[in-house]
Amino acid sequence: MTNEVRSGELPGGMTGWVERRLQLGPFINAALHVPIPRDAKTFYFGGITLFLFGIQVVTGTLLALYYSPTPEAAYESVLSITSDVSFGWLIRSIHHWAANLMILFLALHVLRIFVQAAYKYPRELTWIVGGGLLLITIGFGFTGYLLPWDQRAYWATVVGTEIAGDVPVIGPSLLLLLRGGAEVSEATLSRFFGIHVLVLPLLIGGLIAIHLLFVHQQGLANPKYPEPRPGRPAPARPPERLKPFFPDYILDEVIAWYAILAALVILASLFPAGLEPKADPLVTPEHIKPEWYFLAVYQLLKLVPEEAGVIAPIALVLVIVVLPLLDRNQEVRPRRRPIAIFCALLLLVALAVLTYFGGRI
Amino acid sequence: MPTTRSILRRGTGRSILLAGLVAVAGLVLAAVTAAANPEPPAGTGPWTLAVAQATPTPEIPLESAPPLPTPIAHPGDASSTGCVDCHSAVDAKQAAIADDWRSSVHAKEGVGCADCHGGDPTSDEITVGMAQANGFQGVPSRDETVGLCGSCHANADRMRPYQLATDQYSKYFSSVHGQRLLTADDERVAICTDCHGVHDVKPASDPTADVYPFNVPALCASCHADATKMEPYGIPTDQYEVYKGSIHGIQLLQEQDLRAPSCASCHGSHDAKPPRSDEVVQVCGKCHTATQALYEQSAHSRVPGAGPKCWTCHGTHDVGQPDESLFLHEGGVPDYVCATCHSPVDQSLRLELDRFADPADRRCDTCHHEQSLIYSQVEAIANAIGGAAAAYDSALVQIDDAAALGMIVTDADVAAQGARTELIKARASVHTTKLATISELTDATIAKSSEAEDIANAKLADSDFRRRAMVIVIAVIALNVLVLIVLRRRLHATA
Repeated sequence: MTNEVRSGELPGGMTGWVERRLQLGPFINAALHVPIPRDAKTFYFGGITLFLFGIQVVTGTLLALYYSPTPEAAYESVLSITSDVSFGWLIRSIHHWAANLMILFLALHVLRIFVQAAYKYPRELTWIVGGGLLLITIGFGFTGYLLPWDQRAYWATVVGTEIAGDVPVIGPSLLLLLRGGAEVSEATLSRFFGIHVLVLPLLIGGLIAIHLLFVHQQGLANPKYPEPRPGRPAPARPPERLKPFFPDYILDEVIAWYAILAALVILASLFPAGLEPKADPLVTPEHIKPEWYFLAVYQLLKLVPEEAGVIAPIALVLVIVVLPLLDRNQEVRPRRRPIAIFCALLLLVALAVLTYFGGRI
Repeated sequence: MPTTRSILRRGTGRSILLAGLVAVAGLVLAAVTAAANPEPPAGTGPWTLAVAQATPTPEIPLESAPPLPTPIAHPGDASSTGCVDCHSAVDAKQAAIADDWRSSVHAKEGVGCADCHGGDPTSDEITVGMAQANGFQGVPSRDETVGLCGSCHANADRMRPYQLATDQYSKYFSSVHGQRLLTADDERVAICTDCHGVHDVKPASDPTADVYPFNVPALCASCHADATKMEPYGIPTDQYEVYKGSIHGIQLLQEQDLRAPSCASCHGSHDAKPPRSDEVVQVCGKCHTATQALYEQSAHSRVPGAGPKCWTCHGTHDVGQPDESLFLHEGGVPDYVCATCHSPVDQSLRLELDRFADPADRRCDTCHHEQSLIYSQVEAIANAIGGAAAAYDSALVQIDDAAALGMIVTDADVAAQGARTELIKARASVHTTKLATISELTDATIAKSSEAEDIANAKLADSDFRRRAMVIVIAVIALNVLVLIVLRRRLHATA
């Protein structure tokens, strides 16, 4: 660990100046210099999601400098960002694509954790907090979709909030809370903006900190062997082969981030974020299509009775969030968890089929 | 012995050609003079000097409508159910008639059986209710039916509560249908009940009524597309099929656009008859008001008699979406005979409908052929409109290209909308036949199209810049990754 900041051997210059005053060395050492299992295969999904969130913070802040959250000015301000502001198109397109990739990599991260059974003892709370992060990210997508105030944004929100209004018992109140009135209006836009740029960022910031703290405390799970549980005989396992988190793992992670940044630049340049005609509450488009990650729910609602179509996704999310409390099997290798893996595969196929047919309008 | 046709055919002999050229030059001179003098006094204009007045369509004097019969008087009112009580129980046919009546607007408005059939609806006894002594008249004949309907519907006092017109009766007898009923006692012609129904009369505003605009073409076709029914009259039966394929038919029947005309819009409903040559401009102008005003500024409008009218270029039932192909024949003008446009007898202008039945003949150079003086003006107009349309299309192609690359083209679309407005105005101004007016608008179209195209081209250039910049950024990222990979290898080598 050559890079560790050791007390008594304080470096000179700015680092030494700060260290003499704050004594951050032990904290940084504790944060960075942790060993991780050599067998751990994260595919960098979690880190990439975090990187994309960082991109969203930066691009979102820049967009907020020009965006006006009123029905009269929202569309024009987005048009101006895209057409007039220098590199506004790039910032907006990166924000648009990073949002989509964030959902995608979050899903892949959840899938990786599930397949490697990293949600089991002692990491149940990390998973549950992660469930909260997933919901907040979807909330970002839902609230951000309305902000351009074009036809697609407006009508997708009309339909989306109506679906929320069909939730049993709390539906009507939820609908009113989301819209701030009977219709999607100025009140809806201002509260969606407030939620998107203030409420959700604060929430996600806090939860990310907790999530990372938990990960740091527990270390990465070994996908081959379950963790020994107190009061139970420890399963036989060879000594853990470890590697340093810093700089080995971090270096690989940064390479992955660069790859994602390249993908973002390509997507933003070749497929820049578009803009439909300005929202018109009096003109219903022929086809209203939500973002791809809502298509499965959208299609389900067409196929099953309304209540079932609303309750099923909520129940599914609840089951996923509390999965560690339901799945008490100690095994971590996928071959030894056939029921869990089969259920997950079934769910994935169902989501893929529903998304495919939902997108075919 | 040469026939008139062979004599009139161009190119059969030098003398004929010379004579023809002299005649055409005279016509052109007259047309140019007419164009230069916007409003020549009737009967004294240059046309009357150079071109003999075309024979007007003879107008047969109309037979007056017969006097209106008095409404049938009877005891009881609409609440008297004697008729319906019995007829509902007689058999299925009578029950259906009773049901039809119950569903009708007449039943709702208190018009009962006895109002048309007479008798005593207050009685359940057949010997009383249907006794001739009590005014029972049975089923009215077809010619009686018109009077029967008219006895109420021509009564202003009776119709006032419903705000219905009361001129249908007199209009009907001015129609081809009414006149044949009146003068030839022809009971095969349409009467009120053929269109409005017998017992199940519905308001014209009811979308399920046969007389609702969407249903009118099929209603008229139920007789006029029937070759057996039309055979005695020797009139064509393909109008409905032709109309369905026309721009009017497509708009009304497929697009459900109530602004589009049905048969009744041009022929009239109760006063149905084909519009005459001297009526057609007014008929089309009922909807195409602005176009009519432009046409009335033109030299065409001042040609007396069977001069060029709307239908000469646009047809009638087969009216299509007009475009630049209406100006000139593609691949040269066919060898038209003079009689296409002129009377073989006195060379007067005879642009009658049947001469332009074939849409391929509806071109400016059918009349203003290549040897005519006006041809150069026609060509200039065609080129001006063609150039403006090409400039507009070119702008659209560039805008589409930019949009396909993901560029936001709202501003280019707005500019293109401006160009489109000018192009629409330019195309409409063709009806004035005035090159200066048309050129002014085509120039404006080209200027606005260029503006839109410039915006689109800037977007395309911007998109190109983005792609080139993307390559550079990717190269920088790749370089960074390469450095990191080298670092990683060194790290592993050290470990």
